[in-house]
Amino acid sequence: MDVTVVFKEGLFGSLSSVFDIAKVVIPLMIAMQIAKDYHVLDYLSKFIKPVTNFLGMSKESGFPLMVGLVFGLAYGAGVIVQSAKDGNLTRRDMVLLSVFLASCHAVFEDVVIFVAIGANGWLILASRILAGVLVTYAVSKRLDRINGYDDLLPQTDK
Amino acid sequence: MLFQSIKQGFRNGIDTMIMLGKIIIPVYFILSFLHHTPVIDFIARSFEPLMGFFNLPGEAAMILVMGNLLSLYSGVGAIQALSLSTFEITLLAMMLNFSHSLFIETAVATRLNVSGTKIMALRLGLMLASGVIFGTLAGGVLQQWM
Repeated sequence: MDVTVVFKEGLFGSLSSVFDIAKVVIPLMIAMQIAKDYHVLDYLSKFIKPVTNFLGMSKESGFPLMVGLVFGLAYGAGVIVQSAKDGNLTRRDMVLLSVFLASCHAVFEDVVIFVAIGANGWLILASRILAGVLVTYAVSKRLDRINGYDDLLPQTDK
Repeated sequence: MLFQSIKQGFRNGIDTMIMLGKIIIPVYFILSFLHHTPVIDFIARSFEPLMGFFNLPGEAAMILVMGNLLSLYSGVGAIQALSLSTFEITLLAMMLNFSHSLFIETAVATRLNVSGTKIMALRLGLMLASGVIFGTLAGGVLQQWM
């Protein structure tokens, strides 16, 4: 085994893949920052009331839902914790939001990185959003039936 | 204001790339080194029956394990270092999109006071379900189409 060949292969291969990803991630980050600074999500979350309705959440869940969907789990969780502190979210909203965001978060970033290395993005994006909606819908129907959330809470008290 | 946003976004992009690079480059290096040893062949052969169920090659097991234990980006590095087809990359990307960085992200999810085990089970379940639907069942059609 020729060490220099392996080293060259690793260096060029890894740098070119990082560069390929940079070409899509940097423009995406710029777009996301503009969306954040101009409060685009604030505005959009007013129009997703039918979605939050369908998922069995209150309309206050719209904003945290959008933030998590676009910016990721950490941001989404931050907004959820804050809204809960402000008393805008019910226990039910929190459970449903967690279920949705666990399966479906930071969709643009996660999909774009794989598109950069040759995957079909539409298929991934569609499957992820569809799965998030279906699972959340199923859980919300189940919460209606069992009328309690004990099943979804951690077993130990915090 | 717009200029400020663009500048900040660009800076975020560079930060993300540095973070990605720190993961992707070492993973890529290690895998391309292992490529010249029998290790990858051994792993590939061991996992062939299991991964074959999803219409994936044996070495894909490594990508799924790395993506779940470490992060999505180590999965990206591993995909790049192994030569895979568009169908295989898309299927692995889909499976990893559902379930990745389980330790970190489950910890974040439990901050919302939901059961971490259930959230983890949900994500792994979605990963396996997407593998069965798009790999096992629709794999033949998708391979033709891509």
